[in-house]
Amino acid sequence: MTTDTLQEAAPPVSKFSVRTVLHNAGIGLALLALILFFSVFTEHFLTPNNITNILTQITINLILAVGMTFVILIGGIDLSVGSVMAFAAVVAGKAITLPGFGPAEAIALAIVAATLTGVLCGFLNGAISAYWALPSFIITLGMLNIARGAALQVSEAQTIYSFPFAFEEFGSAMIYGVPVVFLVALVLVFIAWFVLNFTVFGRLIYGIGNNEEAVRLAGHSVSRYKIAAFTICGLTAGIAAIVYMARLNISSPIAGIGFELNAIAAVIIGGTSLSGGRGSVIGTLLGAFIIGVLANGLILIGLSDFMRQMITGVVIIVAVILDYYRAKYAST
Amino acid sequence: MKLFKIAAAAATGLALLGGTALADDKPVVGLIMKSLANEFFQNMMVGAEAHQEKRGDYELKAVGMQNETDFESQINAVENFITQGVDAIVVAPADSRAMVRPLKKAMEAGIVVVNFDVSLDEDAKKQQGVELAFVGPDNRGGAKLAGDALGKKLGEGGKVVIIEGNPGADNATQRRLGFEDSVAEYKLNLLDSRTAHWETEEANQVFATMLTAHPDIQGVMAANDSMAIGVVKALESAGRTDIEVVGFDNIPAVGPMIEDGRMLATVDQFGTDMAANAIDLALEVVSSGEQLEGWVKTPIELVTAN
Repeated sequence: MTTDTLQEAAPPVSKFSVRTVLHNAGIGLALLALILFFSVFTEHFLTPNNITNILTQITINLILAVGMTFVILIGGIDLSVGSVMAFAAVVAGKAITLPGFGPAEAIALAIVAATLTGVLCGFLNGAISAYWALPSFIITLGMLNIARGAALQVSEAQTIYSFPFAFEEFGSAMIYGVPVVFLVALVLVFIAWFVLNFTVFGRLIYGIGNNEEAVRLAGHSVSRYKIAAFTICGLTAGIAAIVYMARLNISSPIAGIGFELNAIAAVIIGGTSLSGGRGSVIGTLLGAFIIGVLANGLILIGLSDFMRQMITGVVIIVAVILDYYRAKYAST
Repeated sequence: MKLFKIAAAAATGLALLGGTALADDKPVVGLIMKSLANEFFQNMMVGAEAHQEKRGDYELKAVGMQNETDFESQINAVENFITQGVDAIVVAPADSRAMVRPLKKAMEAGIVVVNFDVSLDEDAKKQQGVELAFVGPDNRGGAKLAGDALGKKLGEGGKVVIIEGNPGADNATQRRLGFEDSVAEYKLNLLDSRTAHWETEEANQVFATMLTAHPDIQGVMAANDSMAIGVVKALESAGRTDIEVVGFDNIPAVGPMIEDGRMLATVDQFGTDMAANAIDLALEVVSSGEQLEGWVKTPIELVTAN
């Protein structure tokens, strides 16, 4: 009885957690099956070096996907993250190569520049779509162009290079074979998981995706939470930009083209519903792993680029079909 | 209000003056570029503008595009230039087939057309009955220069992989063919060949995985320098210093890598001068009336550490 009344305002924690666990178990099994398949059919898949590779390779997508999870949970979408990442990387690249700074100051400046750029773009996405109640699809499509144009304008379409050595070291540092940049991504996953599950803010993010009107009637400012979700997404794009720069030691204004689609795919494969309100960041972590393992394993098997692209597409569609059945099962 | 009117009148006057300046007998050249988001074309555009300022005896109207595949805006640009009655159109076609028909229209309107950077498709030209020379570098020959440098270094049987550009792009195909020519000539062992869409991050991921599949790789041929940078970073994180990398384009960012040996070679096709040279040729045709013929090859050069 009491749980039912509570559900009107915001979904209860317990029931959702059980369902979430079941979802994630399903995705986890799919990932396990993939890993098993590639381990059997390729010689190098389960080697320490390749595992390190996969962890490095999924890092940027995972970071972007964590932010994307917040936006999709409120029933929105952010198409601009790839461009915003490039814009943030270029601004930070300009900052880090400013003359007259020591390496430590230059790196600090770059980190601040990248995160601020990301936060600003995300805030604008959220504020504009919330204030005028416009679909985020179209606002962030606009931002996709603005940020890409800005990245090209600021960099004059040139690759920015020669960053401090310490920055490069951070990008390639390992702890027991685990890339430090991946650990950064994991920490972000943990923070997001905690926020989404154990704070009022997090529960309201789910609540808005489920029933925006109920949240509004309960006296909460829906706009504020929407803006927050997009700002978080922008922030993760800024963090992804820092990782991109540290790993490759360049800033390219054409970086991240199409990254938004991979991030969205990770979130959806991870079982978060495109209509919002349902899903988890742990699912997103598994979704990013599935995409990364596929990309890596299909090359190891020796499949052609074109076949690889087709199979990735098939996996996305299958994931969404499974999601449909999960939703149907859950609602009955 | 009055002030505003005066300002407006002054502006109109200036615009008229500008109009008369355009109407003097300096030839007008319409330059149609590819994506200015690409460092290579951006530099080329800057080179063309500098060239116009230096020569000063022609008017330059330049048009770029949003992205590599946006050839519709190139077709529109050709049509606009025909309407404006320019003397010459200098074009780097985004699509070697789609651009033939609009350029034919321009030629029929008496405009000198010079095709540079990427050659128009021979069959499409024949079909439309168009005869048009091509001014540009030999991408295949250039790639072969880089491939040969790698072949010489590794010797017969050297194990190599190719990182390709965008599938379907003409210069990507030509460069792949050039690399394959080197593979054949030096009897190299080509282990794998994959696209990374010209992009650093993707090249980094794709190559790291190729290296896992073939730890015995000895050499990498990347179809541009942005991808070569991604390969070099992958080698650094894998702690491999025994693998040679060659690229293409000679962008500034690879300068230090060539110097300290992380890259063996790259190829310079003097992109900054390419549009400017094509404009020179176009102006020559405008003044002399003598048509260009066949393939006017522009210089390419292998860049290595000395």
